[in-house]
Amino acid sequence: MTRAELDAALVRLGLNVPEKERDEIAAAVPLLEDVQRRLRPPGGRDVAAEPAHVVRFPEA
Amino acid sequence: MVADFLTIAEAARLIEKRELSPVELVDSRLLRIARLDGKLHTFIRLLADEARRDARAAEAEIAAGKYRGPLHGIPIGLKDIYETAGVATTGHSKVMQDHVPKADAYSVKKLREAGAIIMGKLATHEFALGGPSFDLPWPPARNPWDVSRFTGGSSSGTGASVAAGLVLGGTGSDTGGSIRGPAAYCGLAGLKPTYGLISRMGILPLAFSLDHAGPLAWTAEDNAIMLQAMAGHDPADPGSANRPIPDYRGALQGGVRGLRIGLVRHFYEHDNEANAATQAAIAAAAHTFEGLGCTVRELTLSPLADWAACGMAIMQCEAYAIHEANLRTRFTDYGEIFRDRMVLAGLVTGADYVQALRRRRELVAELDHAMADLDLVMTAAAPSEAPKIDEVPKFGILERPSLTIAFNVTGSPAMSVCCGFTDGGLPLSFQIVGKRFADATVLRAAHAYEAATPWRGRRPAL
Repeated sequence: MTRAELDAALVRLGLNVPEKERDEIAAAVPLLEDVQRRLRPPGGRDVAAEPAHVVRFPEA
Repeated sequence: MVADFLTIAEAARLIEKRELSPVELVDSRLLRIARLDGKLHTFIRLLADEARRDARAAEAEIAAGKYRGPLHGIPIGLKDIYETAGVATTGHSKVMQDHVPKADAYSVKKLREAGAIIMGKLATHEFALGGPSFDLPWPPARNPWDVSRFTGGSSSGTGASVAAGLVLGGTGSDTGGSIRGPAAYCGLAGLKPTYGLISRMGILPLAFSLDHAGPLAWTAEDNAIMLQAMAGHDPADPGSANRPIPDYRGALQGGVRGLRIGLVRHFYEHDNEANAATQAAIAAAAHTFEGLGCTVRELTLSPLADWAACGMAIMQCEAYAIHEANLRTRFTDYGEIFRDRMVLAGLVTGADYVQALRRRRELVAELDHAMADLDLVMTAAAPSEAPKIDEVPKFGILERPSLTIAFNVTGSPAMSVCCGFTDGGLPLSFQIVGKRFADATVLRAAHAYEAATPWRGRRPAL
């Protein structure tokens, strides 16, 4: 993500981030991109793979 | 003269026999707080008058033969995300510094019912995420083993206050390791119970599906005592489990012979490489368990970074949703670490969140399968002793995969246990993990380990 792309994203988010913090955030974006990459298995996931449900239905 | 350091169990035995008065005990802690907290910064708000009042009431009840149990008359502290009726609950943030709840959190109510005496509200990383920060209304807590060191977070004040003997136990919360981290760096025992075992009602949330409330104290036994009081179904928390609560303290007895432990070495030898002292201490701890009659075998799981990515994506999205409105209107009222971490969180997409929830299901199934013929999993709780407090990077939680968040993803009970000290006298630790709702097994293993090793006899020199 370029600095200009970050600036545009911050406008969409409605965040007024001080200028001096933006470069540091932009430099950390690759760390976030690694997180995003790891969520997707190589070759993709079974289309029917559902998310985890945290709250379970009580046993009958 | 009350000893500088007492475990909850030790103090409870004396109080029950009326050899120690809750008033004496509370007064001794207040003196200690006055002497030490100026350099440790563990308290955001000290409730001295209320604590003395409650101690007098406890003493009168006990004298009248109405002893409630092992928390009766015991001074504890609350991480300042636990709501307290009529007392500000701030999340250690300017954003909520005037927030005065009308009611106690459910777990606080239960601790009071058990007779615990609330000494005050303790420092935390801002909203249980952003720290250690030096630009908040209160300074960050300092590590009693070395005040130039980090306490771990986010239950920083609780870890430091218990380790310094200012309170005998305290509450924490753990969304990615915020109980186990301070326990590791402050030389304590800290349990993140099974998801749903302790109600989160009245606790400021960080990430709903990962948040766990739990205790920090000196020993596994003290954790069992606190868990006994805090656990239980609460219909007001939609994630609260409706299950019978076992006798956790009673279950500490009986030893660990025959327990099967899977040692996940690649987490701390490769994926987030721990230093030599930590690796050696964990190897020695595994050997101790073998000596106690456990079988220990190596266990390989998905790379630690996969577990961390899943947990981080979920945490970021859920936390951002909570703070979205205030971030737009009060951005610089948050500390820089919290708000900049939240900016990154704002860049996580809805699709990322759903992929993380799908990954979560896969990882939960993976751990369940791996533990089918195991009772416990063992790994590192931290990659080293506590670092210097001014050397904790803003985005450190993304730079190295967390050793603890995997078990927030799975909702498993997981505990930090002290397993030695560096040559410089700083605590080392390991993490022990059980099957969901097998918290008693985790506590029993930790208790057996503590009884077999000398580490619980050591306290910081203050």
